[in-house]
Formats: sequence, C-alpha cells, structure tokens
Amino acid sequence: MQWAVIAAAFLASAVEFVEAFTIVLVVGVTINWRSSLAGALAAAATLAVIVATLGVALVRYVPIEYLRLVVGIILILFGLKWLKKSILRYSGLKAIHDEEAIFEENRAALRARGEVIAPRFEPFGVLLSYKSVLLEGLEVAFIVITFGSSAANATCNSTCGIGSAAIGAAVAGVLVILAGALIRAPLTKVPENSLKFVVGIMLTSFGTFWGGEGLGINWPLSDAFILILVALYLVATFVLVMILRQRKQQLELARTRQAQPTLQGQAEVSR
Amino acid sequence: MKVIKAVYNFLVGDMIILVGILITVGILALIADVPGLHALKVISGVILIAAVLVVLTATLIREALGNK
Repeated sequence: MQWAVIAAAFLASAVEFVEAFTIVLVVGVTINWRSSLAGALAAAATLAVIVATLGVALVRYVPIEYLRLVVGIILILFGLKWLKKSILRYSGLKAIHDEEAIFEENRAALRARGEVIAPRFEPFGVLLSYKSVLLEGLEVAFIVITFGSSAANATCNSTCGIGSAAIGAAVAGVLVILAGALIRAPLTKVPENSLKFVVGIMLTSFGTFWGGEGLGINWPLSDAFILILVALYLVATFVLVMILRQRKQQLELARTRQAQPTLQGQAEVSR
Repeated sequence: MKVIKAVYNFLVGDMIILVGILITVGILALIADVPGLHALKVISGVILIAAVLVVLTATLIREALGNK
C-alpha cells in the first residue's frame, strides 16, 4: 500500500466528489431527491458499465476535453436560464414564485379528493444529476488510474498502485457524502428562490470552468478558480439586480405620474 | 419540429442565451485552432467570462424593456 498515492488520490478525488455531490445535493433540495438520486445512481451504473467493459483503455483514449466542452456548454445554458429567472424575481420584474404555497395548495386539493401524491421524476433534475456524476466520476476514474499506474515501482506494481489510489478515492467519496448528508437539513430551510439563484450561479460557474477547459483554456489556480468564478458571477448578478430594481422603481413612478392627472380629472368631473 | 422545440425549451428556452453562448464557443474554438489567432489564447478565459456576463445582461435588458 502506498500512502502517498492514497493521500494524493484522496485529495484530488475529494474535489471531484464535492463538485458532483454539490450538484446532486442542490438538485435534491430544489427539484426532488428521487430525481437527484436516480440521476446519480444511473450515472454510477453507467460508469460501472463503462469502466468494466472498457477499463483502462477508456480513460487513456476517450478525450475528456470533448466531454467537458459539451457538458460545460449545457451547464452554462441551464445556469443562465435559472439565473435570469432568479434575477428577474429578485428585482421585482417577475412575481416571486412561491412553490411551497402552490405545492401545499395542490397537496390539500389532492388529499381532499382522496388521492395519494407520488414524488415524480423531473427529467431536468435526473439529467443534471446524471451528467455531473458521470463527468466527475470519469475524472475520478482518470485520477485513480493515472495516479496508480504512475506510482508503480519495485515494491508495488501497477495494480497495487491503482488499488491504493482507489482506496484514497473511495474514502474521499464516503467522507464527502457524509458531510453532504449533514448539511442537507439546513439547506432545506433556505427559500427555494434563493436556492435556485445559487444553483444558477453554480451551474454557470462549473459550466464556464469545464467549457473553458474543453476549449483548451488553462485556468489559473486549477479547480480553485471555480470559487473565483462563483464570486465574480455573484458580484455581477448583485449589480444587475440593483440596476433592474432601480428600473422597476422608475417604471412605477412613471405609471403613478401618468395615473394622477387621470384621477384628478375624474375627481373634478364628479364635483 | 415539435421535438426540436421541446429540446430547445428544455435546454435553454431563450434565443439570446443560446445564440450568444454558441457564437462565443465558436469564436473560442477558432482562437484555439487557427494558428494566426493563437496570440489571443491568453485572454480566452476572459473572453468566455465576459461573454457569459454580456449574454446574461442582454437577455435581462430584453426582459426589462418588455416590461414597459
């Protein structure tokens, strides 16, 4: 067993697991857990099938850049779609959608009719969770195989190295899932519109990062640059919300001014 | 046609976002592949981030103007 390989694979895989699990977590909280877990399990099954059938050759020959590019573009599109809606709601240009109230209303109506509510699969949630786990899972497989095979020496052959790296990755996965399960409860108390806003920021950030990597961009600080992207998009959206709020106030002021002479005229006529 | 529209609505549902991002990816792919444009590769990341922000601003402006 090679402790250096275990530690390196643990750290590198933890980053990938955190990235995948964050998306699984927010899909679970914002859409539903059934869709989120179904996507994650389907991706894990796909990964298992891919790795079992193609093995090391897959990780060596499938160009992950293309996968990153396609997933990155789709995530940017999803992210911007969600961000747009959230910004419009925060700025007041779009009515805040109270999903909880609507859900409770529908549930009460269904109960009144004696129907049972079955949590249904949301294709968007399943797909989002699936893509994230598949991409990150491939990266973990890549890390395990490259770290493991490159660490082979006189005392530990390639299989032993890959085994050590796999242990590091597995421990990282278990720890990330445990940590995620602990923060799941506090997350459910956050208003849904805010969560959707955060998801929009995250998807756009991950999408920019992966899409950029797929296009051959070498981001400074490697994976840590995702945090910079998150901060950047947060600041930009905050500014956009402020600008749109001002515009909404101007529009309301203009409408009030337009309505006043009409009201005055009506009052004079009634006198 | 209905399938294409369903996929479009499922993926993005906004023409400004779709066209804006696809044009950006096209430009960045050109920068990455055309030797004459390799000098711009250093600022590819900046171009991508700026494009994402411009696309978001553009679609929001359209929505805000539509609210008149």
